Amino acid sequence: MSKYGGWAGKVLRVDLSTGRTSTEDTIEKYKDYLGGTGIGYKVIWDEVPAGTGAFDTANKIIFAVGPLAGTGAPCNGRTAITTLWPTCWPRPLVASGHMGGNFAAELKYAGYDAIVIEGKADRPVWLSIVDSKVEIKDARQLWGQGIRRTTVEINQQLGSEASVAAIGQAGENLVPMSVVINSYSHSAGGVGGVMGSKNLKAIGVRGTGSVRIAGNKAEWEKVIKMHLSLLGANNQHVVPNSPQPWAEYYNAGSRWVAAPGRRWGAADPNIDTGICEPHNLNKIAYRTNNAAFFLGERAWQYTIRGNGCTACPIRCHTMLRVPAVAAKYGIRETGQNTCAGMVLGRAFFKKFPDGPKGQTAIEACMIGMHLADDLGIWENYGQLQRDFQALYYNGIFGHKVEQKEFKSYSWDKYEQGDPAFLFELLPRIAHKEGELATALELGTGYLLERWNIPEQEWLENPNLLYWKLGHPKHHANEDAGQCGVIINTQYNRDAQCHSHSNFTRNGLPIDIQKRLATELWGSPDAVDAVMAFAPMNVYKARMAKWSLLRKELHDSLSLCNWMGPWVASPLREREYRGEDSIESLLYSLATGDRKSRRELDQVAERIFLLNRALTIRDMGTKDMRTKHDTVPDWVFADPKDNAAFGKGTIRMDRDDIKLAMDMYYEEMGWDKKTGSPTREAYQRLGLGDVADILSKQGLLA
Amino acid sequence: MTRESEKLDLLKRARDVLGACHPFSRREFILMTGSIAIGLAALDAWGAKEPPLIIMDQANGLVIADATKCVGCRRCELACTEFNDGKASPAIARIKVGRNLNFGPQGLHAGQRGHGTWGSGLVVQDLCKQCPHPVPCANACPNDAIVVKPPTNARVVDSSKCIGCKMCQKACPWEMMSFDSDTDKATKCFLCDGNPKCVEACPAGALSYVAWIDVKEKSPRRIVPTAIVAPAKAQTCNECLRK
Repeated sequence: MSKYGGWAGKVLRVDLSTGRTSTEDTIEKYKDYLGGTGIGYKVIWDEVPAGTGAFDTANKIIFAVGPLAGTGAPCNGRTAITTLWPTCWPRPLVASGHMGGNFAAELKYAGYDAIVIEGKADRPVWLSIVDSKVEIKDARQLWGQGIRRTTVEINQQLGSEASVAAIGQAGENLVPMSVVINSYSHSAGGVGGVMGSKNLKAIGVRGTGSVRIAGNKAEWEKVIKMHLSLLGANNQHVVPNSPQPWAEYYNAGSRWVAAPGRRWGAADPNIDTGICEPHNLNKIAYRTNNAAFFLGERAWQYTIRGNGCTACPIRCHTMLRVPAVAAKYGIRETGQNTCAGMVLGRAFFKKFPDGPKGQTAIEACMIGMHLADDLGIWENYGQLQRDFQALYYNGIFGHKVEQKEFKSYSWDKYEQGDPAFLFELLPRIAHKEGELATALELGTGYLLERWNIPEQEWLENPNLLYWKLGHPKHHANEDAGQCGVIINTQYNRDAQCHSHSNFTRNGLPIDIQKRLATELWGSPDAVDAVMAFAPMNVYKARMAKWSLLRKELHDSLSLCNWMGPWVASPLREREYRGEDSIESLLYSLATGDRKSRRELDQVAERIFLLNRALTIRDMGTKDMRTKHDTVPDWVFADPKDNAAFGKGTIRMDRDDIKLAMDMYYEEMGWDKKTGSPTREAYQRLGLGDVADILSKQGLLA
Repeated sequence: MTRESEKLDLLKRARDVLGACHPFSRREFILMTGSIAIGLAALDAWGAKEPPLIIMDQANGLVIADATKCVGCRRCELACTEFNDGKASPAIARIKVGRNLNFGPQGLHAGQRGHGTWGSGLVVQDLCKQCPHPVPCANACPNDAIVVKPPTNARVVDSSKCIGCKMCQKACPWEMMSFDSDTDKATKCFLCDGNPKCVEACPAGALSYVAWIDVKEKSPRRIVPTAIVAPAKAQTCNECLRK
């Protein structure tokens, strides 16, 4: 028996150029990086040289999960996919996409913690993994097919239980704005084209093994139940969105939408979500209905059930049945997704005849899911649609695209909010048909460059929510003031960090949040009421550091950072406290490698620092502060010209954000002038060799 | 019939069943005839000492499921194996959801008319029926390793007797027997001695632990059973019913 539980113990290497497959020992080689993005960054750092293009054969793509994937730890269903990012502008830099579904667990049961894909196949292939049997199979039959058909055909070979992660036509055609999808609706953005560039159509996995829990099973059961008791609804919203007899508080913005009378109307017979009192762990799955949250009350009647990842009781992918779309548009009447994937179709339109939450908007969502999740198109967290609206309504399409092509689109349909317009647009994006679609599929940065539009216009436009490097904000100042700003400066795509917003938006009154913040980050001033932000202080910098490290920790352990951390809870008797050590409790028991919260956060910091080092190396500059960690101008403006720090504005102040970055770099132990980690910072985390390499290139602060 | 001719007859019948009903590989056939031989050794033991075990007691409890409520998270499978076996192992879970998750019990050939995430959305949970007499898994066991365990009277695998022949897997029409390749033993639902972990773990309240009811005849079979009941066990029917 292996020394550690949790890990499967092997990393699978697949060289598509030679057709050779091999395995490495996870513990020997990657234990210091846990798994997930940790393994991903490590492989890219060691093996992919600076200057490599996203679609170059030398780029690698790493599907990696962590020691908690496949266990009963709640919210462990995510696979981190790390590679050089094709939509990162003006040059590809390291980033990761994250898909939920059943892939992560199945990979573990098959006996692997990660798959490193190298090289390029000379013809379309798919990777078949059935426990220890790994084969590279001919995919010429599958090439040109959508994700759905590809999945079904692979399931016919591997059996119903296999999990298939496939790309659609978009990925095949090297569309940078493309996804890989498993389990019907669980996508990871940005990586479809990288798989396509390697002629890799899909990975099918079937695992019949197990993940051993190293610790005492009764203790494990206790910790699991404790963790479950701390869960809220999706995004760890810990109060309901309507008054409930059991609830001291409610918050209209909460994703805890269950209530008596709100029914899964398309379940047969339908199901009343009813009272979901927090202590009733047998009703957690009813708390969340993201269709109702995003699409409005009407979505309840169409809800079949909640769906989601293996082992997650929070079912954030809502499954819908909308019979009208079958008759009207000839598509299947069921669909499912969450958040940006769910509203993909709707978000292209400025208006609908019956409003943003009417029937037409829902139908647009159904068509969007039907097309995009089959063709494999990525929406870049809504930037694709925001760009589309701006480019159309500002007349730029008409200007940049030849008249004949421009007129081939039914713009009258588009303006009227007719969802059928999506049938004209989305397939063309996936197939790069015409100038308009070809520009859109590049991603924002490369689109602007292609059409000679200054990035500055996007940086100033408050409606576009564009941040930098071709990517938008993701929970920035609108959710957490300066802390959100700092977080959004750190990555090479949208930040995908929820540690901070899952706290500030948890629905608890601000005085309770401030009490919890004092315990967590040392002062009530770490958090402000949303849209009533106070000037920067060091506690906000601490919260930012904590948030970033927990994100990396989750992405490496396979815990969902869209749900965690769990530092607030719905439990009144705990005074709404969560548990800041839950990750370390789960990790220690599952693996048998006892690590305290602080020790585990240090591992997370090592992983985060390696991401930073990679960015510095590949950008070829240590001046991160001015060249990378930038903040768009719209953050410092307000549509009504309200001053920063007033009530009702998310406006930030330039000098205050300078101070925020100073304080953040100081918290991290980095050089304030350049925003680069110092040799001491690297060495403290066991990355002395990384510092040596950067030093030789003059890239050390 | 002499004991020798009884053995030959049994082997012949086994071959007929295998040849007619099941596309077993040669290897599986040999494994199976091997296990029949072991069963016959046990038959000798029965003949010499004690009568074969025939379970007549009803179970006291049963886990039942509401498929319309299942959200497909598989926490039941994980609670079953982590809290009982110390490992996350859906392959040996005694409640089976994963196999119906994507395409439903009919598999992917049912297409959109089928169930599961790719079909209607309905996820069917498969559960042990804690069968009344005759108990297929127990009757097929050549070692009487499936026994009744109070207080629930669940039919459970006595792992000290189980030799891992997998005959029970071929006997259960609902494919509810699992084989743990770490221990080389069969395993099945034992109702967690009256406090089923799966029921406790379901975040959608889709599972219930109830006083035993007979659901055997109401549940569609997944496979045609191909296990053999040893003549000594079958003989007990004659003894019982022809009295």
